[in-house]
Order: sequence, then structure tokens, then C-alpha cells
Amino acid sequence: MSLRADARPAPDDLRARLDLVRAAKRAVGDAARAEALARQRARGKLTARERIAALADPGSFVEAGALVRPRDQPDAPGDGVVTGSARIGGRPVSIVANDFSVMGGSSGEAGARKTLRQTQASLDHGIPYVSLLDGGGHRIQEGLDSRHFAAVSTNFQQLVDLSGWAPICAAMMGSGFAGPSNMSALADFVVMVRGATMGIAGPALVKAATGEDIDKEALGGAAAQADRHGIADLAVDTDAEALEAIRRFLSYFPSNAAEPLPIQPCDDPADRREEALLDLVPANTRRAYDVRKVLAAVADRESLFELKPGYARNVVTSLARLGGRPVGIIANQPLHLAGTLDSPACEKAAHFIALCDAFGLPLVFFVDIPGFLVGSPAEKSGLVRRSARIIHELGKATVPRLSVVLRKGYGLGFIAMNGGRSFGADLTVAWPSAEICAMSIEGATDVAFGREIAAAPDPAARRAELIAGFRARVGPLEAAEGFGVDDLIDPRDTRPVLVEALSRLAPRRRGRARPPKHRDISPI
Amino acid sequence: MEAKSEITGRVLEVVASPGQQLAEDDPIVVLESMKMEIAVTAPRAGTLREIKVGVDDLVEEDQVVALMDPA
Repeated sequence: MSLRADARPAPDDLRARLDLVRAAKRAVGDAARAEALARQRARGKLTARERIAALADPGSFVEAGALVRPRDQPDAPGDGVVTGSARIGGRPVSIVANDFSVMGGSSGEAGARKTLRQTQASLDHGIPYVSLLDGGGHRIQEGLDSRHFAAVSTNFQQLVDLSGWAPICAAMMGSGFAGPSNMSALADFVVMVRGATMGIAGPALVKAATGEDIDKEALGGAAAQADRHGIADLAVDTDAEALEAIRRFLSYFPSNAAEPLPIQPCDDPADRREEALLDLVPANTRRAYDVRKVLAAVADRESLFELKPGYARNVVTSLARLGGRPVGIIANQPLHLAGTLDSPACEKAAHFIALCDAFGLPLVFFVDIPGFLVGSPAEKSGLVRRSARIIHELGKATVPRLSVVLRKGYGLGFIAMNGGRSFGADLTVAWPSAEICAMSIEGATDVAFGREIAAAPDPAARRAELIAGFRARVGPLEAAEGFGVDDLIDPRDTRPVLVEALSRLAPRRRGRARPPKHRDISPI
Repeated sequence: MEAKSEITGRVLEVVASPGQQLAEDDPIVVLESMKMEIAVTAPRAGTLREIKVGVDDLVEEDQVVALMDPA
């Protein structure tokens, strides 16, 4: 028998054999591979093992498959991927980290088996799956072979099974075109280091396939994929920041959907009233403001963790805590597109609802919406169906959902923001600035009474009269009189009101009769 | 450097003038759209070179409303 790939006979003495094992393990460690890792370090990047050490609680990583190597590649330690279990914030997680120093981090047959086994561990034990991606997808040397590729097995089935059971995180830390991006597309949270890339295919393949000449940063850099396309949830400058973002993201979530929410001790008083809230939202509905200031005044101090901050900025989606309890906040942002919902905003909000609902985070809506975006660009983007995705997700959700109507609540936008009674909000409160109705008063008056206005002796006066008449029926007190809201509150009480409600609501609603179907069919 | 409108709307007011130094996010023109006043702002700090629209002009999504020289 042999203990080495070079097939020297193993010594008879167990101690001597143990020395050989230790030497084999040392040989795949960073210390023995300084030359191979020099390029990675020269680019300001951490090695795969350094990344794991920075991500996990100190000393908690237990590696599986360190000694793996493909039969015909003597210098491919671990077959290019480091896998195992570790703890983050004391809780177990699976980690799979590409090793770019081994054949460009490409995925080989043995490495794929390691990855699959770790994915299965997340499924079996209900623990988050964290993928640190840095490499070139399928190993070309193996992939250009029908016998091999037709029979290839991936971990996609396991990732889909894992979706909604345990959180899935992906960090794009280097070259991420193709395979790594395909994986990240199934993740709940994707963080991208600026300088890394992601996309369906890289520049060389694009050039060969279509002739398009585009550099990798313009094609798949963070400015494109995180800020403009929303493919990543967050873009950061360094490896360390990306790893910290994953630790932070996971702190809001249970390890799996059967576990209770991780409620943290909170030193921010539950009954804190914020004077500034009286002045943050202009009563004049034509004026914009930054809704993030409202959220910061209401949530536990320093607890906001915004997802996709650069993408579809007309809706803010943010993890947060209220009285130590994790929640998902969805807020219209009047600073951008007047706070309307367009197709990107719908996708952003719908995905966020699904994420929070899967893991039991209550949803808190801050409503100031003039409606869905209208016009031909909006129609071209398929907004009719995309807007329904929010409705669909709200209809499926079983977590508590609370709404605070800050100002405008118009039309389907109001309903899609969990306003009123359509989705049985567990709490609907409104500020005195609330203005809830089916559509903007001026526009609706022109549509419905255009002929009457034109025929009047003084059309402008008749129009003003009609508008004044409707305006008298649109206001917060009228909404409360019709019991479309539970109460009108002092804006300064928003935090105490929400914290109190969350403390008494059941974690899931039950008992709604559902027909015996197998699944829902999403509008997109 | 181009300042583009993110939304279709009508120009309500031009609030900056050519030659003016602007910081990032400073308003250049204010549009009316969706019954709100929406500013088209400087994408980055710089000097305003030219404003390509006037009051009451209809502006389309992604239309360039001003040109700037980056600082």
C-alpha cells in the first residue's frame, strides 16, 4: 500500500506513517504553497483558507477533503476547492471556497464531489451554505469531452432543495463568469468585491460567440452587476468586507426555517420616541425626501442592513431589528422615480418578501407610493406581470406584516405595499400625512369628468370645484372612519407602536384554507 | 459627463446655470412627473457646461438634460 501519490511503499511503523500524513497535509497548506499563492496575494486578495479564517469564528473550521487530488494532476491540492464546516456567531455553517491558485479555481470532478457533499450537509443538518467563489467555472481540460460532460453532476438540485430551508450566501471574490455566477443565482444573498466579475459568460466567449467587444469590468463588474442590474445584493471594496457582510447577513436569520428567529439583546429603548419624525416627511406631496432617514429613526440603532442599495433605488429593502427582533423593511423611496414601483423595484421587493417569509422575519412596510410607474418604457419592461409578482409573494407570505402609511397610498401600489385590508395586514397604521385613494385626484378628475369640465361655463372653476370635492373625501381620518387602517398615530410613536405589535403577534399565521394543490405558479 | 433624467416628465424649473460648480447630487433641473417634483442631479462633482432643456420641455427617460465637465 502507499501513502503517497508517487507510490512509495508505506513504512510499517504507524508513527512514521503519521508523519507522512502530516507532511501531506502540510503540503496543501498555505505555508507550503507560498509561490503558488503569490499571485493571489499580489492582487490584494486573501487565499481560500485565509478567507475561511476571516469568515468563521476563530479555530472553528473543520475541513473535509483537504487531501483530495485528481488522479492525473499532481499539483492540484484539494482539487481546487476547500470545503468543510465552521461556526459563524457560534452557529454551524457549511463553507465551500474556490482556490484560485489551483487551476484557476476551476471545478474538477473530485472538487465537485466535495462541493456536493457539503451542500448535502447543509440540507441534512439545516445549516447555512456559504460559497466563496473565485474561479473559472467548469474545468476546461475535463469539460471538452462528451463522455464526461453529458454525465456531469452538479449541486443545483441540492441548492434548490436548500432554498428556503437554510440561508444560502455567495461571495463573488474574483473571476466569476459562468459556473460561479450560475451558483450565485440560486443564493439568497450575493456580495461582490469590486474588481470581481460575474455574468453568464466572460469577454472572450462573448467575442467568439457574437463579436461584441467588451471588457470584463464593463460586462460583469460590480458597477454593472450590483449597481445597475441587481444581480448582486451588495458591492464592497475588499475581501474582508465581503466576509463581514456575510457574517452580518446571517445574524438576522435562523439557521433554518424550523428554528426560531435569532433575537438579540437590545439596548435601544423600545419606547424611544423620535422627535425628528415630525419633520422628515413633508406634508406637501410634491416634495421628495429620503425615506432612509425615517427608517434609521425607527429601527434599533445601527441595525439597518440594506440589500441592493444601488439597484432599483425607488424601493428600499433592508434587514433591521426592532426591539432586538429581526425584521425585513420595504419602503418606497420618493427620492427616486417619485417612489413609484417599476419592474426592477418589483423584482427587488418580491424577492425580499420571499426571503423574509422563508425564514420567519416579519415584514414592515413604509408606504408613500404615487402608484406603479406608467408609460411605454414601463409597459415594455413587462410591468403588468412583474407587479403581480409582489402581489403573489404577499399572498403566499405567512409571517406577520405591518404597514405604516407615511403619505401617499395610491392604487394598486398601495395594495402591493401591504396597505389596507387586501392581505390582512396584522397592523396598519397611518401618519396624519396619509392620503389614500385609488389614483391621484387631479388625474382621476380629468379622466372621469373631462367632458363635464369642458362643457362648463368656466371649465377651470368647475375642475377646481370637483377636485376640492374629492379632496375633502381623501384624508387620514376618512381612512380611519372606514376602518381601512387600525389607527392614526403620532409619527414619533412609530417605533414603540411597531415594537409592541411585533412582541405579541404569532410568528406565523395559520388556518387559511388552501386547496390541495402541489404548488403555486409565479407570474414570472 | 452627462446628467440624464431617470423618468419621463416635464421641466418645471431650471435651477443651475452653465459655468456653475456643482457637487455630486446637486440639482440641475426640476421635473414634474407622477405629480412630484423630481430633480435631475449632477452624477458627480464638476462644472456645468450646458443645459439642453428649458421650462415646459418634455423630457424622456434616459434623456441627457445637461453636460458637465468632471472636477
